[in-house]
Amino acid sequence: MSLFAQDIRVSYGTRKALRGVSLSALPGEVTAIVGPNGSGKSTLLGAITATLPYQGRVLLNGRDIRDLPPWELAAQRAVLPQASRLAFPFTVLEVVRLGLQSGTAGNRPDVPMQALARVGLAQYADRTFQDLSGGEAQRVMLARVLAQVWAPVEGGQPRWLLLDEPVSSLDIAHQLQVMEIARQFARAGGGVIAVMHDLNLTALYADRVAVLAEGARLAFGAPGAVLTDDILSRAYRCALRVSAPPPSGIPYILPHAASA
Amino acid sequence: MTAIPDTATLPRDRLSRARSLHWVLAGGLALACIASLQIGATDVTLFAMLAKLAQGEPLSHMERVVLFDIRLPRLAMGVLVGAALAVSGAAMQGLFRNPLADPGIVGVGAGAGLGAILAIVLGTLLPVWMIDRIGNQMVPVAAFLGGWGSTILLYRVSTRQGQTSVATMLLAGIALGALAGALSGILVYIADDQQLRDLTFWGLGSLAGASWAKVLSAGPLILLSIGGALMLGRGLNGLALGEATAAHIGIHVQRLKSVAILAVAGATGAAVAVSGGIGFIGIVVPHLLRLASGPDHRTLLLNSALLGATLLILADVIARVVIAPAELPIGIVTAVLGAPVFLWILLRRRGLVEP
Amino acid sequence: MRGRRFRYSALTLVSGAMLGALLALAVRAQDSTALPEPHGDVLSIGGSVTEIVAALGQQHRLKARDTTSSYPPEVAYLPDVGYMRSLSPEGVLSVGPSLILSEEGAGPPEALEVIRAADVTFVEVPDALTPDGILRKIDIIGAALGVPDKADALAAEVAAALSAALADAERPEGDKKRVLFVLSTQGGKINASGTGTAADALIRMAGGVNAISEFDGYKQITDEAVGLAAPDVILMMDRGGDHGVADDDLFALPAIRLTPAAQTRSVVRLDGLLMLGFGPRTAEAVRLLNDALYARNS
Repeated sequence: MSLFAQDIRVSYGTRKALRGVSLSALPGEVTAIVGPNGSGKSTLLGAITATLPYQGRVLLNGRDIRDLPPWELAAQRAVLPQASRLAFPFTVLEVVRLGLQSGTAGNRPDVPMQALARVGLAQYADRTFQDLSGGEAQRVMLARVLAQVWAPVEGGQPRWLLLDEPVSSLDIAHQLQVMEIARQFARAGGGVIAVMHDLNLTALYADRVAVLAEGARLAFGAPGAVLTDDILSRAYRCALRVSAPPPSGIPYILPHAASA
Repeated sequence: MTAIPDTATLPRDRLSRARSLHWVLAGGLALACIASLQIGATDVTLFAMLAKLAQGEPLSHMERVVLFDIRLPRLAMGVLVGAALAVSGAAMQGLFRNPLADPGIVGVGAGAGLGAILAIVLGTLLPVWMIDRIGNQMVPVAAFLGGWGSTILLYRVSTRQGQTSVATMLLAGIALGALAGALSGILVYIADDQQLRDLTFWGLGSLAGASWAKVLSAGPLILLSIGGALMLGRGLNGLALGEATAAHIGIHVQRLKSVAILAVAGATGAAVAVSGGIGFIGIVVPHLLRLASGPDHRTLLLNSALLGATLLILADVIARVVIAPAELPIGIVTAVLGAPVFLWILLRRRGLVEP
Repeated sequence: MRGRRFRYSALTLVSGAMLGALLALAVRAQDSTALPEPHGDVLSIGGSVTEIVAALGQQHRLKARDTTSSYPPEVAYLPDVGYMRSLSPEGVLSVGPSLILSEEGAGPPEALEVIRAADVTFVEVPDALTPDGILRKIDIIGAALGVPDKADALAAEVAAALSAALADAERPEGDKKRVLFVLSTQGGKINASGTGTAADALIRMAGGVNAISEFDGYKQITDEAVGLAAPDVILMMDRGGDHGVADDDLFALPAIRLTPAAQTRSVVRLDGLLMLGFGPRTAEAVRLLNDALYARNS
């Protein structure tokens, strides 16, 4: 039981965004996808979530996602998009409930409030979603996604959180909070795939890292093996050094040092 | 920070409020129906007739005609048309994710208008035996074909490889509307005076032409379409998050779009065909309900049907008594009542009027 | 196109009428009507039909009228059932007619069906643009009202008046003035009559020539076409409001300024129903127009 993406190819017109990328993610682990802008990170997640037309195969818990109707997919995996616009003035709690409609927690009315509490926004339940700040909106969406796959393991099968830059508009404390939620979901038996921009958080929380560059996979493995001077410098096309303090007395703040 | 507030301290759940609103609105509709049967230009009243029936007295011929041939079909048509317009409005707004969308966006209005104008202006050119056979039904049939046809055309134009682009549909709708407007303009030019007045009256809408034949021909399609639309609540809620996210939470987005467009084309096409152009119901009704009980489409669609039917019936009662024995086109009444309400809502939202 | 002007004027109408109507409802519910005698209660639809009913001395039998019935002036006090092509069936029944006399084209068809179902006799009077047509209208209406003798007398009177008026109006072709009938000058655009209209018929009967013969019916025409039509006289309806364009405004219009009519400031305004109704007063209309066209010159 795992999530396999095999030889994924995606084109935007004549531009090839992904040139045959494979990825395997295991339940119990946080799998991160990193890479420079335009490397195909979000495109790869788009294929895995069946949001984009793609060539290749994606197997979710052993079944090709093309063979699964939307509601069965929704019961097995939840997707957090990069940005969410909401058309009508739903309240925060109503938005979280939208996730519940298709999930298998549908018969548990307490789940949405628990999910909101999990992201620290239980007291916002009755606010209108449109009135939230960007960071709050992103956490509400995470709560919605959590509510959809509330139990990390259901019927002996792992369920999956697919997160597209889940911490992009959050402050450092909430970045840690969200990554902690993802890690706990994995530790409880679920699977997590996250597209990440922040290499430090990736190093801290990912169990496996895929590095993409120019639509191809440059490296895949444990953070220690993949986040190296050589691989990162090639991927990001600039000279990078891992675990090296800055040359002068400029302060630097790493999430590693935070006590969450 | 992670403490869960006691659910009892939360303001009352909007969903349960919206559900109890079903009953309030159904009651309102029942009252409106009684008013519609009670009030009219003649002094026939429902209560007087019920009293007669209770005492076993026969009804006069006049009473039977007024009640069964005039007011009842008119009431039935009002309920059908009002519900069709309001539900179509709510469904279109959900589909286009825009509270100002209305069925006109998918070309129903322009197409139906073109059909009606064609029938009114060119209908007289048909051979006499054809006019004799289909004369009365020509305008409604042509309006329906025009409205339905243009919507299906738009749908086909904006669907590629099984994916309907809502943005393409908007743009193509504008183009098609302009084309239909131009063709209508040509026909208006060659129309004579009487036909022009007919066109004006058609555009203002009326339930005056109600008959059992019209109710029976438009009713099944309208009911089927409304029924289809009422099942879209969950899907339209999901669509509020965008198409991709709607799919991620398990909604068959393409099927949702197809059903929504077919339902709107059917309901609005049939409604416009039998009653002409009646504005504002499709926009004002869902908007009022969203303010009252939130945007949840699972309750919004049914509440829209109930409130739309109620308002149209009341507007019709006004239309037929204010200048009796003549009557106003109902589109005038809905606009006169709807436009100020709508402006008030907009001003209130901008904080220009104290709530 | 959607009758915006109509809608605006209707707005004022509605806002005022709405309250009154609600009050009236309570009152109306308590009214009771006596049983109508056969054909004692007549609803007349169409200006010329109403005129003929009145000319037959049967005005006392009129129970209601439509919007276009404005002559004789007393009919204005009768209930108005609205525009003849969008009648409200219950509105029509509420005035309790046993006979409906109507010009061609009353509707909608569904309303007429219901009205017929309520045992109301419905007589359609064909339109007419000729003296014979007028006589036929009188004949049909007289028969429907059960006063054929009076109808014969009226027909004879009208026939005599018409033939006298026509004879007086007749003039040699070359001597005839070119007349442009202007229905409206809304927004500076000229809506004029072509052939086949009541205006065209009346112009010819009154010894004039319709300046426009290129199209049928009333149409908006370009400024230059008005110049080419070269009318000697402009003919308009006399009815205030938008259409009662003052002479100065009328002759200041670029289209009209090009015409001989503008040089002599020749404009004739006649009552619309008198001019276009083709009823008992048509002989009068022919004389009035003929006098207006030629009296000053001859």
